[in-house]
Amino acid sequence: MKSITLNAQSITKHFGGVVALRDGSLDANSGEVLALVGANGSGKSTLAKIITGVIDRDSGEIVYNAEPVVFKNPLAAHIAGVTAVYQELSLVPSMTVAENIWLTHEPLTRFGQVDTRKTVSDTRKLLKLFEGTYQSTLRPNAVVDSLPPDEKQIVEILKAISRNPDVLILDEATASLDSRQVECLFNLIKEWKEQNMALIFVSHRMDEIFRIADRAVVLRNGNSVGEVKIAESSEAEIVSLMIGHESGLGRTERARLEIADEIALELIDLKTDVLAGVNFSVKKGEMVGIGGIRGQGQTNLLHTLFGNKRFEGQIKLFGETMRPNHPHAAMKKDIALVPGDRATQGLLLIRSILENLHLPNWQAYGIPLNIRKATSDANGISKTLNMIMESLDAPVSSLSGGNAQKVIIGKWLLRDPKLLLLDDPTKGVDVGTKAEFYNLLDRLCGSGTTILFYSSDDQELIDLCPRVLVMQDGFIKADLSGDNLTKANLVSTSMGAGLDAVNNNTVVEHEQ
Amino acid sequence: MSENIQSSEKKKFTISPQVTALLLALLLFLASGFLPNGFNSVDNAINQAFNILRLSAFLALIAAGQTLVIISGGEGIDLSAGAIVTIAVLFTYKFINGDNAMVLPVLFFVVACGAAIGLFNGLGIAYLKIPPFVMTLGMAGVVTGALLVVTRGLYDGKVAPIMTNVIARDLVWGIPGMLFLWIIFGVFMTILLERTRYGKQLFAIGVNRLTARLSGVRVDRMIVATYSIAGALAAFSGFILVGWLQNAGLLVGNQYLFPSIAAVAVGGTLLSGGKGSYFGTMAGAIVIQLITSLLTTMQLPEAIQQIVYGSILIVLLIVYGREKGIRL
Amino acid sequence: MSNKVDLQEGWRNFNRKNTYVLSLIIFIITTVAYLLLQPNVFDEGVISRLLTSNFRTWLPVILLAIGQTIVMLGGGLDLSSGALVSLGNVILAISITSNEEPWFNLLIVLGVVALGLIAGFFNGILTAYLGLQPMITTFATSFVYSGLALLILPNPWGNIPREYTKVYRNTSWFGIPLALFIIALILIIWAIIKNRRYGHFLLAVGGKADAAYYTGVRVRRIRISTYVISGLFASLAAICYTLLTGSGSAVSGAEMTLSAITAAILGGTSMAGGSGSLIGSVLGAIILGTIKNLISLSKMDSWYRVLVNATVIILALASPGIINLIRRKK
Repeated sequence: MKSITLNAQSITKHFGGVVALRDGSLDANSGEVLALVGANGSGKSTLAKIITGVIDRDSGEIVYNAEPVVFKNPLAAHIAGVTAVYQELSLVPSMTVAENIWLTHEPLTRFGQVDTRKTVSDTRKLLKLFEGTYQSTLRPNAVVDSLPPDEKQIVEILKAISRNPDVLILDEATASLDSRQVECLFNLIKEWKEQNMALIFVSHRMDEIFRIADRAVVLRNGNSVGEVKIAESSEAEIVSLMIGHESGLGRTERARLEIADEIALELIDLKTDVLAGVNFSVKKGEMVGIGGIRGQGQTNLLHTLFGNKRFEGQIKLFGETMRPNHPHAAMKKDIALVPGDRATQGLLLIRSILENLHLPNWQAYGIPLNIRKATSDANGISKTLNMIMESLDAPVSSLSGGNAQKVIIGKWLLRDPKLLLLDDPTKGVDVGTKAEFYNLLDRLCGSGTTILFYSSDDQELIDLCPRVLVMQDGFIKADLSGDNLTKANLVSTSMGAGLDAVNNNTVVEHEQ
Repeated sequence: MSENIQSSEKKKFTISPQVTALLLALLLFLASGFLPNGFNSVDNAINQAFNILRLSAFLALIAAGQTLVIISGGEGIDLSAGAIVTIAVLFTYKFINGDNAMVLPVLFFVVACGAAIGLFNGLGIAYLKIPPFVMTLGMAGVVTGALLVVTRGLYDGKVAPIMTNVIARDLVWGIPGMLFLWIIFGVFMTILLERTRYGKQLFAIGVNRLTARLSGVRVDRMIVATYSIAGALAAFSGFILVGWLQNAGLLVGNQYLFPSIAAVAVGGTLLSGGKGSYFGTMAGAIVIQLITSLLTTMQLPEAIQQIVYGSILIVLLIVYGREKGIRL
Repeated sequence: MSNKVDLQEGWRNFNRKNTYVLSLIIFIITTVAYLLLQPNVFDEGVISRLLTSNFRTWLPVILLAIGQTIVMLGGGLDLSSGALVSLGNVILAISITSNEEPWFNLLIVLGVVALGLIAGFFNGILTAYLGLQPMITTFATSFVYSGLALLILPNPWGNIPREYTKVYRNTSWFGIPLALFIIALILIIWAIIKNRRYGHFLLAVGGKADAAYYTGVRVRRIRISTYVISGLFASLAAICYTLLTGSGSAVSGAEMTLSAITAAILGGTSMAGGSGSLIGSVLGAIILGTIKNLISLSKMDSWYRVLVNATVIILALASPGIINLIRRKK
């Protein structure tokens, strides 16, 4: 690979009225890994997308080997040797692994036909790079739709690497991977570094950044606010650059409330397409965290309790068996779900805040609807949650991430739920709103609401929940609380090892 | 992955589409006054205005069901509306047969037929996942076929006097009875859309069916209900139409089909669903009717009307209908 | 465990590549039924006569179904193709009235082909470039095209020289009619194109357009190309239809659009895009035509024909949905 330098200078970009990037800058060089770090909303993904030609920039320059370039579309970036790995974004589900990897640069026969045999054999060669980290489902002729998320991510990575790029951008590429796959990827990255590839590693995960990166650029609110050499820096320094002020990483003290004895929720041998037999019970007013590596059934569990999945087994709510076959039925039992993807699952973007808040509740307002009462109720809840908005009639798309999340929570709080299910609710929410949110959850528990809280952020689980259920492969692998509830135990049980395994540094065999 | 919920939005027009439609209607009406057959006097102008309004009313009535299915999203459209109007006209004409006493029973019967046809549409769309365009178009063929079987090309009947009096003639202060009917109907439709749980849920499924489901809305039932209501409304329009036409015909409904879609679009209802109003459809119907009348007065062949409707829809789509998203 | 995965993968790939299996079965059933109803079916020349008379009538819809399939594979929909047939048909009918100036006639034919390409390009610009919804957009353009057809020829008329229509209607080699050769040729061309990069790009765009975009596929261009192809096939269908009937009518193509879409759906092409086959659509069109024949042959009251045909179409449209419903309940 040839030596290159890639500079982004003062890139700006806005979407509608919102500024995503004010001054995005970075320098990437061959043979090193540059981490691009920042909280959600900092603009790091936008910057990555501009560099790879997916989005236009408003102003600023990209200089590639001392020459200014404009990548009008991803193809132009590919041709120049700049390729990105996203999260499953560029795979066509109805096509095979081989077809996806070689799309747009398929090997051809003499007659201009796609050389299918060669694509399959070349794909096998690429798959060898990750050998031992995936199951037998991952083959060249497998239809991508049938693969689990981690294998899809591997295909994404192989797809990028098949182009032999000079610059490789990994945008949250490790999110769906398990630790063995991440280890494998990092070894590959080290090899690619030696082959002179320039790598940009966009990530949220501090430990990974400190494992693999040489330098780090920090973005905050669309500005590049600092650059550090990893070897000379610390987690605390980077976090403070991200947040803008010193913040302790210590555990926040939370008042541990007394829990009543009444059992609110009991699951007996719950099975779905993903769950393999889940058993646990939760007391009224308890806040139980759900953890584990992403994609192990956590979201599926929450959706099943909300009536959105077919299931076998028993669900008992306050002693009564129930079989919700539609979210409507679950709602009638005073269950509420805050889904994981705000924009596509939780909000009606072009409708007003008022309508979003009352969507599950309109039958309470009579025929014809008493809009005055609805408005005053909505005002009430928006004050309680401290929502910052223009007016109740403004479209919900005008709100920031944190406030939009408040709308979703507000719509369920208006119903006074007995069981509140939360699917990674603080993703993409700013630090201030997160703190308000945690306080709200504590108050709800105190007044008797039972809460199940799934988070992909291990630290958040430990800080917030006195009890965490760790899931893997559709089972509950561990029920941690009290002294057992440590980050080390969380991680090791997520990988299937026991509570003591972490001390011995064993790596768990991937279960067939 | 997304950092902001906002996506790339193009510049928005600040005047609401309904107001634009009304202004356009006014302009067209005044313009028509300057034509050779235009207004001779104020009385004449008022007469012409009432006439236009009356004709628009029928179009808007037929467009009511269309408004609902388009708001419901999922590329919603009802191409069987024309056929339902026709069958309603024929049944009304035949079964009332000039008898005032039959008016109410026949009304219920005809509306029930329309609802049944709409029910089929809704079931096919919601449960068999047949795209609305294809399903309703196919259903239109079935209804037309059924018509032929029943009528064998012939039809007879008579209008009831009470219908003629209310619908075709003036009722009070020289204002046509039809207009009162229309206003009451408009109020009913607006209440349905803005002040009922059904209406709120309709907008919800038009915007995002997954969110609606996860907020407890039974999407499939809503779809079935909406197409059934649309069928019932189309049948109701056919019933009223007989009062005006004093007659029936085998192709009566079809000529209203495309204009009804154009009226909904002109009135500001998003063709992708989730946003709109019946008031807009009313304004849009007036605009479309004015254009039709203009073209007829200019003695242009009917073919020109078709081309004009198609072009209007294309222009509207270009102005209002661009999908958000990444540049693709 | 590995065997089960093999089997599942094999079945999934089979389904993916052979979406036309259902239509093949129905095709065999309906064709056999039709042949059995013919007297003296195994006598000399009877099959050839049946092939000729049926396929020359079916060819326009088959061509339309092929064009529609390509658009649907790319994730779009073209509701204006029938109207384009009407438009091409009337233009040909009023222009080609004698065989004294064959060059003029050829020019007109080329003009109609060009018209189809341009109309298709227009559809493509509106949907792919401006990002408008294909269904309502092509619905709107269909009104413009059929309006133009009505303007050009308000009443059916036409006098295509017998020399030309004879060629289309009666030419056959070895008992196989011209129409069938044309279909075979198109299918062969498609088989070659399908495995070029274009074919892969098309399925990618129809499968998941933004994924294709991120990969560097020129999504817009691919989509526009599908509409241009659909326009081309609409022109070809117009030419065939004109040669078939010898005259023109502004509503000649009106019902063809629904038939073409039904044929494609019956043949296993998905409305969502990304999967389907041309063979399936051809079979689907043949099935619809055969059923129409069966209805004619039956002693049904002619007033019932329209209703029965319409019901057949609804059932055909419902077939993938019903199959999926059964699968989901399992």
